[in-house]
Amino acid sequence: MEQIRILLADDHNILRDGMRLLLERQPGFVVVGEAADGRETLQLAQDQSPDVVIMDIAMPNMNGIEATRRIVEKHPTIGVVILSMHHDESYVIRSLKAGARAYLLKDALKTELIAAIHAVVEGRSFFSPKVSRILQEDYIQALGRKDADDSYELLTGREREILQLVAEGKTNKEVANTLNLSLYTVDTHRTHILQKLNLHSVPELILYAVRKGIIS
Amino acid sequence: MRQRPRVVLVAGFGGLLLIMAGAEAGALLFLNSLRHNDTELQARFLARNRTLERIRSNIYLSGTFVRDSLLAPEQSGARAQLATLDGLRRDSESALASYAAALEPEEAAPFQDLHSQIEAYWKVLDRAFEWTADERGKYRYAFFYEELVPRRTSMLQIADRIEALNEEALRRGDVKLGDLFGRLQLGLLAMIAVTLLGGATLAGFTIVHILKLEAEVQQRLTESVRSQASLQELSARLVRAQEEERRALSRELHDEVAQAFSAVLMEAENLLDLNPAPEVRVHLDSIRGVAARGMNEIRDMALLLRPSMLDDFGLLPALEWQAREIGKRTGLRVQVASEMCGELPEEHKTCVYRVVQEALNNCAQHAQASAVQVCVRHTDGQILVTVQDDGSGFDPERGRGLGLLGMEERARHLGGSFQIDSQPGRGTLLRVTLPRRDVVVPEPEPATELVWNGVPYGADSHPAG
Repeated sequence: MEQIRILLADDHNILRDGMRLLLERQPGFVVVGEAADGRETLQLAQDQSPDVVIMDIAMPNMNGIEATRRIVEKHPTIGVVILSMHHDESYVIRSLKAGARAYLLKDALKTELIAAIHAVVEGRSFFSPKVSRILQEDYIQALGRKDADDSYELLTGREREILQLVAEGKTNKEVANTLNLSLYTVDTHRTHILQKLNLHSVPELILYAVRKGIIS
Repeated sequence: MRQRPRVVLVAGFGGLLLIMAGAEAGALLFLNSLRHNDTELQARFLARNRTLERIRSNIYLSGTFVRDSLLAPEQSGARAQLATLDGLRRDSESALASYAAALEPEEAAPFQDLHSQIEAYWKVLDRAFEWTADERGKYRYAFFYEELVPRRTSMLQIADRIEALNEEALRRGDVKLGDLFGRLQLGLLAMIAVTLLGGATLAGFTIVHILKLEAEVQQRLTESVRSQASLQELSARLVRAQEEERRALSRELHDEVAQAFSAVLMEAENLLDLNPAPEVRVHLDSIRGVAARGMNEIRDMALLLRPSMLDDFGLLPALEWQAREIGKRTGLRVQVASEMCGELPEEHKTCVYRVVQEALNNCAQHAQASAVQVCVRHTDGQILVTVQDDGSGFDPERGRGLGLLGMEERARHLGGSFQIDSQPGRGTLLRVTLPRRDVVVPEPEPATELVWNGVPYGADSHPAG
């Protein structure tokens, strides 16, 4: 089995050391680099082309959110797991919009960390239970506002199916195979879904799905 | 020392007024007496003139009588004529006596002369009446032309002289009055000069004194303005220092202390990963729990001191976080609306955040409000912040707590204004206006700082719709 190459980005040495120890003890994981700030992370992502970056937000010399945006922009295959102290939705939502696939709080258990790494490698999302809850609460609150209507109701059954698969990180081809549809049809459905939900990118779609509780 | 100028001013003005009043009264009295003297002088002149006229006409009349009686062919009615003559004589004697009563010194000699000539004249006349008819015929012409007419002419000349002297006396009196009037004029002039001089001195003194007072007042005003400015400067610096300290403390707690807890968590994970004995595992779980709680508490504390969103993402996300926190803590429904382009300068951002924070705390603690609307807007040249609640309201004239004063102070430091519109039972509208300075437009690449440059969160954070 091929090893999962991991890049650690955190400005605290002790934490990085502890994490490296923890991860390297797991079979199939290898830590290919450690960065103490945002710029260094960009450089190492470029040089080492890791599969996963475990990223802190509060870092000197470019914060983790901005680093995530740039890495995902340049290397869409790299999955970013945010590991942060911040549990407020403003941080979570900005991270997801920047392209992060997983968001963990720093009191996460080892099992959560491992699950998140596996999820992003497989193109799925993963959130700490607390983070999922925050996103869902936010959505429910938004529903409570008068101006928000539930555009989810506009989607057809097939579109909902495709929404879930896309949000889980499946490519168009995988979706087509799973649902026995042509690539062209899936692409058309995707366009419709984004139009109906007034979304513009896959990260937004994932965020939407998380808030709705379609995926967690 | 303060007393002296007052005494000088009172004495000066009082003295000046007294001098003027005294001089005026004196001048009035003097003028009155002048007029009186003048009238008296005229009256005396006229009376003496009349007396002289009386003497003159008596002399004429007596001459005429004597001539008529001498020229009459018969000596008839001589007795009656004598009686008439006697009347004239007595009248002129009384006139002489009355004239003599007030005689000018230089009149004495001619008057004496006149008096004796008149005496002699009467005696001569008496003689003529004692003549017989023959004697009359014989002497009458001679008597008339050689005795009577020369005597009469001489007496009238003397009377003219006396009249001239009388006129002279009148003129002298007039001159004297003129002198007196001149003196009065001089006196008045002197008084005017004195009052002008006194007034000028007093005015000078007053002006100097007023200028001194003015300078003193100016100095005190300057001092008070300066001390007020320095007080404001001090309080602004205190607010800034407090904010700086909060920011530093918050960062330190978040970046160091909380991270240390997270390192402990990680180490505990590592130990757990080594499959420790069950009793060790129990302790490790306990350590994990304590560290996780510690981390969360420190993080919350840091947020309370100064929310990291304010520095990381800007004002609106920080306000929205604050709104959520208050909502979670107290059940208050807080809506945040914003019409902003770009991010505010650091001081403005902090000011607005702290004012809204304080206002929301007030709403939650005192106002018994259930819903609050926060609105931050850029309008022409200013930033307008309103916080409107549906709570119990209060009378802003009566009680303004320290919190409100603090808000007002913060707004004033940035040259802004602070208003409260509230009535008991009608909720509270708080309005802060800050002059708009250069709004910081987010840079395209804020790489070195923890500043977010993404799409404003509020614009698309809600689900589609």
